[in-house]
Formats: sequence, C-alpha cells, structure tokens
Amino acid sequence: MDKINRRHFLGAGLILGASTLLGKETPKKIITSSAEYIPPVIAFPEKKPLKVISDRPPLLESPRDIFTQAITPNDQFFVRWHMPDIPTYIDLNDFRLEVKGSVETPLSLSVDDLKAKFEPVEITSVLQCGGNSRKYYAATGQATHGVQWGHGAMGCAVWKGVRLKDILERAGVKGTAKWVGINGLEKPAMDATPKFFREMAIDEALSGELIVAYEMNGEDLPYLNGFPLRLVIPGHFSDSWVKMLSEITVFDEYQNSFFMDVAYTVPDNDCECVVSGSDFEYKRKPIAAMKVKSVIGYPTPNTVIKKGSRVKVTGVAFDQGKGIKEVMISVDGGKHWSSTVLQKDYGKYAYRQWAYEWEPKAKGEYTIMVRAINRIGNIQPQADEIGWNAGGYQYNAVDAVNVKIV
Amino acid sequence: MKKLLATALLLASTVLFAQVAKPIEMPYVDYPMVKGDHDEVVQQYCLICHSWGYILNQGKKSRPYWSGTVQKMVNEFKAPIGKEDQQIIVNYLVKHYGYESTAQH
Repeated sequence: MDKINRRHFLGAGLILGASTLLGKETPKKIITSSAEYIPPVIAFPEKKPLKVISDRPPLLESPRDIFTQAITPNDQFFVRWHMPDIPTYIDLNDFRLEVKGSVETPLSLSVDDLKAKFEPVEITSVLQCGGNSRKYYAATGQATHGVQWGHGAMGCAVWKGVRLKDILERAGVKGTAKWVGINGLEKPAMDATPKFFREMAIDEALSGELIVAYEMNGEDLPYLNGFPLRLVIPGHFSDSWVKMLSEITVFDEYQNSFFMDVAYTVPDNDCECVVSGSDFEYKRKPIAAMKVKSVIGYPTPNTVIKKGSRVKVTGVAFDQGKGIKEVMISVDGGKHWSSTVLQKDYGKYAYRQWAYEWEPKAKGEYTIMVRAINRIGNIQPQADEIGWNAGGYQYNAVDAVNVKIV
Repeated sequence: MKKLLATALLLASTVLFAQVAKPIEMPYVDYPMVKGDHDEVVQQYCLICHSWGYILNQGKKSRPYWSGTVQKMVNEFKAPIGKEDQQIIVNYLVKHYGYESTAQH
C-alpha cells in the first residue's frame, strides 16, 4: 500500500470503520439488544473464577463486590491482553529488559538487576482499562464499539519496582531524544498484524512517577497481569501499562502505529466527545489521564434487603491523582444527596473507599447513586449528560444500583 | 535463630519461584456459535486471532458496524480474508449477531 496515502488515512482517523462509511449524519440513538450474552465464570491460572469475556486473548472481568475493598486482591484483579500469543513460561535466568535506541549505553537488565542495582519505590495506584464501564453508555441510549465491559475492568494495587527515569538515566538518554516506545512479549497470531506498541513523550517518561514494577501487592506480578515486569503510570488509563515489558526504545522521531494513532483515541476537543456527526471525522488524541469516578461495591444490583436492616453502603472513588474531596450518595434515585464517610487514604492515585450507614425504613424499590468530586472541582456527570465517543472510552458517569427492601 | 531465618528465606524464595516453575495452562472456553450460513468460513478467519467471545460480548450490532469491523480486521490487523469471504462473514454476523439497519452501531 502506498505509504503516504496510508499515513494520510491514519491521520484523518478514518479507520475504525463503520462510522466512517456512513459519513456525516448525526448518530442515531440505538439501544444495544437487551438479550445480553452472559459470559462463563472460570478460574484462570493464579486467579479466582472471573467473568471470561474472552479466553484468547484473555479478557477477565472482576465482580462488582471487589469494590468493597481499597486494595484489589491479585487473584481477582481484572485481565486484558491484546494479542493471542502470550508466553506461558518465562525463565528469569533468560528474561531481559532491553533499553535501546537513542541512548549512550544500551542496557540489558534481568529482574535481579532491577532489584539489586536500582532504588526500589512503591506506589498505590488504580489500574483502569480505557473501555471500563463501556456498557453503561448504551444504558442511556447509544451503544459503543468493542466488548461491553461492566465496571470490573479496574483495580487498585500496591506496585513496587524501579523508576523508569532511573533506568533511562542509567542508559543515558541522548539530547536528540523525544519519544519513548514500549512493548512486551505478547505477539499477534500473524507476522503482518501490528504488534502491541505504546509510545510517550520523553518528558513523561522522565517524570519520575512512572515505575517498572516487579511486585504487585507484595508478590510477584501474576502471570496474567504481566509477570515479570509491567509499566505503571499512576493516574493514567492502563493502555500504556505494558505487560511482560521487554523493550524500551528511545526515539528521536514519533513512530506512527495503529495502537497509538487509531486505537484508544477520542476526539481531540474539550469534552473529548462527539458533538455532532461521526466520531471518526474528528482529529484524534490518545486517552491518557483518568476522570473522577466512583462505583458502588455493596449492595450489588437487585440485592434484597430486609426493612430496618442497617446497611453499610460502600464503594470506591478515584481520579487522575488530584485526590477525592467528597463522595455524595442518594438512596432515592437522585432527589436528595448526603455525604459519605471517606475511609483510609492510601495516596492520591489510589482508591478512596467511602461508606454510608443506611437504615431503610419502608419497603419498596430503591435506586442508590453515588457521585464523586475531586480537589480541583471535577465532578462526575449524570448518566444522561455524559459526553459520548464511539470507542466507549473514559466512562465515568454517576453509578446507580437498584435494590429491593422487603 | 539464624537457621530459622535461613529456612524462612528459603521458603519465601521457593514460594516466589513457584510462579515460574512450570508453564501456566490456559483454560479453553467453548463459546457458543450459531451453525449454518457458512459458519466454517467465519471460524476459519475470525478465530485466527481471537475467541468468539469478542463477538458475543459486543451485543447485537448493525450491518455498517459489522462491515466496518471486518474492514478493520483486514486493513489494520491484516486478516487474509478475500472479498467474497468478507461478505459471507458480514452477512453471517448481521443475521445471527446483529440486525439490518443503517445505524452505525
């Protein structure tokens, strides 16, 4: 294919297909079929049974009740890979992280090298898939592309490892360097398929907050969460938290790639959403910083509770790293709001658990809703006012759970 | 005491090492797939790179959506699907996992 034409095509963001072909009409409100497929719940290696959206590549969704904890256990932590060919065995004697490209001294580091020759650092941070909660876009009218994740494509863990900055400084980044490319060991089924690849500006890579993690909640990373190394980018969606991280390449020029230019992108405007017309007519930008969000861990939908019970409603809230200021709760579908009590603070990038004592006094159906605001005044949108994008990325509208009091 | 500590360390390293001592075994999930309308063509191509769960978990989609998705597989992911087979796959998806509509999603 002609290279210039292809790049132009990519630049115009006309790839993801469907919307493109039809052009300019305003998207119609289409409800996803109510006959929703229910995936099986199966235990994968080092995991408790989780919802298996796909076995190859593995896509495993955590149940909603994990949001009753500020730290997500490794064996219930969600899983999302892009490529079908994932090594099922890694010998640490052979495994090396290669640091190359525009550096003075290319490095080839074992996991032991990282543990012994660099300062260890630890951070508690939320890891959230860009498409997490995507299915709720359809609930207010318009379905989105991709597999329809509920809220369970996120978790929060204590990550321990080495600063990316320290690794890059050890290698000696050349003055001409502008971009850092990262990839891991997962491979496509065919050689022609683009490999999973992510890229970031050199300033971001050198910020000091990114770490190459070798531990998750005090243990080796589980295989399916990226053993033996993964990148951690606190406050950012997980798209660039590359698993089985094996190569860091410093570039002088930006490298065009499907996974940066087309996948995981949203309209490059203030709302990062479609105002009119088709999503793919917009200039693109990669999703990056997360948006303020809270979800309910208990009760789960359709829980039946006896009148007069003392119910501890609880869940988690987080944002891009500014810190949660307040989480409001309504038990009457949004008519009245009260404050919840924020629990232990694990740091600005972590889940902030919240709790609310509720004593329902009358029988009937109730809708519990929560809404978080962060320290710079970002507040969650209501479900019917959230900006829409075709990829279904960055969903952060007010969460709602229906329960029955009997 | 030293002996105890050494034993504890040995145990700890054994536990950590256990995670890589042998290959993990990934379960296989037999996702249900409607038979007929050349499902063998659909299987032949779609399942090269991903499970049938990718289709089932998107919900029912319109003809332009499935058509665009197959185009993406061919143009971006380089799926080696000829024009006729692309049409067979789109028709199969619309019939069994979608609906006839000009809507984009």
